[in-house]
Amino acid sequence: MQTVIKTEGLSKTYTNTAVPVHALKDISLEFKEGEFTAIVGPSGSGKTTFLNVIGGLDKPTKGKVVIDDVDIATMKESQLFDFRLRHIGFVFQAYNLIPVLTAIENVSFIMLLQKKPKKEMEARAREMLEQVGLSDKLHERPSRLSGGQQQRVAVARALASKPDFVLADEPTANLDTKSAFNLLDIMARLNKEENITLIFSTHDQRVIDRARRVITLVDGAVDKDEHIDKD
Amino acid sequence: MGMLLILAWRNLWRNSRRTLITVSSVLFAFMLATALISFARGFQQQMIETMVRQETGYLQIQDAQYFDQPSLDHTLEYGDEVRQALEAHQDEIEYTVPRIQGFSLAAKGMSTRPALVTGILPQREDKLRKLSANMVEGELFSDRDESAVIGEGLAGLLGLSVGDTLILIGQGYQAMTATGKFRIGGIISFAIPERNNTAVYLPLERAQWYFVAENRLTNLIIMPKDTEHIGPLANDLQSMLDREWYSVAVWEELMPDVMGIIQMQDTVYTGIAWVFYIIVGFGIFGTVLTMFYERMQEFGILLSVGMKRRLLSAVGMLETIMIGIMGIVAGALVSLPIVYLFQRFPIRFSGEMANYVLQFGVEPIFPFILDAQIFLTQAVSIFSITLFIGVITTIKIMRINIQEAVRNE
Repeated sequence: MQTVIKTEGLSKTYTNTAVPVHALKDISLEFKEGEFTAIVGPSGSGKTTFLNVIGGLDKPTKGKVVIDDVDIATMKESQLFDFRLRHIGFVFQAYNLIPVLTAIENVSFIMLLQKKPKKEMEARAREMLEQVGLSDKLHERPSRLSGGQQQRVAVARALASKPDFVLADEPTANLDTKSAFNLLDIMARLNKEENITLIFSTHDQRVIDRARRVITLVDGAVDKDEHIDKD
Repeated sequence: MGMLLILAWRNLWRNSRRTLITVSSVLFAFMLATALISFARGFQQQMIETMVRQETGYLQIQDAQYFDQPSLDHTLEYGDEVRQALEAHQDEIEYTVPRIQGFSLAAKGMSTRPALVTGILPQREDKLRKLSANMVEGELFSDRDESAVIGEGLAGLLGLSVGDTLILIGQGYQAMTATGKFRIGGIISFAIPERNNTAVYLPLERAQWYFVAENRLTNLIIMPKDTEHIGPLANDLQSMLDREWYSVAVWEELMPDVMGIIQMQDTVYTGIAWVFYIIVGFGIFGTVLTMFYERMQEFGILLSVGMKRRLLSAVGMLETIMIGIMGIVAGALVSLPIVYLFQRFPIRFSGEMANYVLQFGVEPIFPFILDAQIFLTQAVSIFSITLFIGVITTIKIMRINIQEAVRNE
């Protein structure tokens, strides 16, 4: 399988605090195409920082993040905007969606920014919303959707533009068990069907159990990297 | 662009009450500023119109030195040079009003009072300022008549009435003694006390005889057909007249005091309008700033997923502009009938206010001016403020720290 993301000696130190905080310490990892990976660890272990750095939202203090043969750590901010738009899908913990847009408009939004043709965009948005079981909510605004439904729309949006990989920061943190399982089922299915690499941070055991690879971070360093055979 | 517009528009209505309050504040500022300026322009136009009609006319030909030293020694000769210049521009001139004017003493028996003696062509003067409408006794003389018309105040002060004889004593052209006896043919009333107490009108030829200044004038008033473009006409006339002897002046030059008042009023009214704008500006700024901080996390997420800062800034700018435009359009729609109404049915001052205004020779009736330029100026001013606020929003969006914004709750 092709390597999608490769980190080499990745370190991140925050110096704008009273005492420097070493959020990431010399992390070298590879993520292959189609992987379904959970980044786990206690609070403050560096999960979100790691996702931010590989997602181009934050710059490492040291090391490389190689995506598509390019070290994104060396990119300028304007290049990173474009890079994120074209290569990465994001799912956040909450407030994922644009409240004034309907579900289909939210899903189309990234493709719109990518300037995809309108017909293609609409068809793909409909398809993705069907995939996440929301074909009857196309024209509902987020305020009329439950938390679980909103996260499903967010997943549909993240995957709609067919990114190289999707980063999800604690996607089930605000969901009840039923909604969380439902979302995980959808993510796992889409991961297989669309062959999109999914990396998500979590400390939710329900999510960890669904992952096929679990990377445990402790104090900013990789403590364990386990591949779990689900078949 | 379509999606940006949709986003901006829908964002505005996330809190519709707040947006409506902000738009209303723009509406009221626009309406108040427009009404104020329309009233001020109406007041000024009324003042100018009155002054021009009663005093100077739109244009005047004078002796070159008369403006600085207004005496009978600096009268102009109404000769061929002036006539030729006027004839050459007869298509642009509606009519002319010749005058000769000087101070004298008016007397009856042992009583004397200062008088401003003005020689006029009554028909022309009447056309200019409807003198005959102000006659309270007797009649306005004809061109060839020999009688005088005096102000009601002066008549009262000297105890004169129609049919009595007025004695005038003064200095004429080139230090000649001016004396004359004139039968009073009429009494005229003026709202301005100074004029009412000093006015003496004589037929032009009689006044020239009295001042020993035959064929001479202190002012030759020109009323143009097009009052909007008097500058070029003044320049053309001046080019045909010897600058050593003749001066062509427009009303602005002839009434520097009035121009000073107008400029002062403009400054005051513009200042008041800007106070409205600044208050409204703070209102819009408050709304936009609240909208900005309320949506910080949303901005962070949008920037995370790859929306460029300039696009997000454009949404912020559009929201601000939309508030401004809605306020301006609503303000214009509300102001238009109000200004129109007060143009059709002008404000009439009464009591002390009316007397105060009358002192300046201005009728206390003030129609609003319905002028697209006034609306446009207010619109541009408010729009500029919204643009400025939009730029501040844009700068704030350009400086958002994405990670902090995403974590913002």
